[in-house]
Amino acid sequence: MSEQTGKQMSKEEKDARFEAELLPVLDPLYNFAYRLTLDEDDANDLVQETYLKAYRFFDYFEQGTNAKAWLFRILKNSFINEFRKKSKQPAKVDYSEVEGYYNSEDIEGESGVATTTDMRTESVQDLIGDEVASALNALPVDFRTVIILCDLEGFTYEEMAKILDIPIGTVRSRLHRARNSLKEKLEKYAKSMGYNS
Amino acid sequence: MESKFTEVYPRTSDEGNETDCDKVSDMLDLVIDGEATSEEQTFFNSHIEDCVGCFESHQKQKLLKGLVSGHLKRVIVPESLAHSIKAKIQETV
Repeated sequence: MSEQTGKQMSKEEKDARFEAELLPVLDPLYNFAYRLTLDEDDANDLVQETYLKAYRFFDYFEQGTNAKAWLFRILKNSFINEFRKKSKQPAKVDYSEVEGYYNSEDIEGESGVATTTDMRTESVQDLIGDEVASALNALPVDFRTVIILCDLEGFTYEEMAKILDIPIGTVRSRLHRARNSLKEKLEKYAKSMGYNS
Repeated sequence: MESKFTEVYPRTSDEGNETDCDKVSDMLDLVIDGEATSEEQTFFNSHIEDCVGCFESHQKQKLLKGLVSGHLKRVIVPESLAHSIKAKIQETV
């Protein structure tokens, strides 16, 4: 119990610790915010709000514990409480495009692909990345969230349970359903490209 | 067939029995996410050595995870963001 508590910190110490421990998470946090909101400005606002809250509650943050999971949890709660309502303009442009594309029955052949991606400038790697992003963005936000947390950010099931406030069993089943859903969308794409699984 | 695995992963087929393939299929996510216990991992490994179907399911599930972790482009954080955060904090304190 020799750990220094927030109350004893001077403002300089607090600021220094805040910068050293929490700001390095900026990149993954912004990426998470972007994948939730699908909008750069909203992601920007959400991340700022998250850091402001984190600063306000920094005294409760135990040094040396998982700063990344703590910030992700704050961000996810902010998103649910405020952003979901605020940023729910009817269908973001890219989202509706993706929906239309994946829901159309006649995507056999290359026509569907050619219209959604610029074949001239993108390498195959980019093309795959774009398809993965489109498929992921078309998933319901709860599904998108578990896939991002697990596959992109490498959180454990236990950390995800804490971030999302759900039991580990729910993490598992949600992840399972999310992956099935993602697989379905990507398989349609693979078929349209001539791969048969 | 009341093995330990059936208790942990209850899933019944039409006959009420769970096959090894069912168990392995339920463990797939745990395995690719590194969440399986060593006991589960051992069971899983020995099963996919003999079962082509489960071996392929495992490959596909790994591929799917790899598509997200390896191909999803990260968005670039706006340069001004870290600065705005620090400025905002000073304002509000």
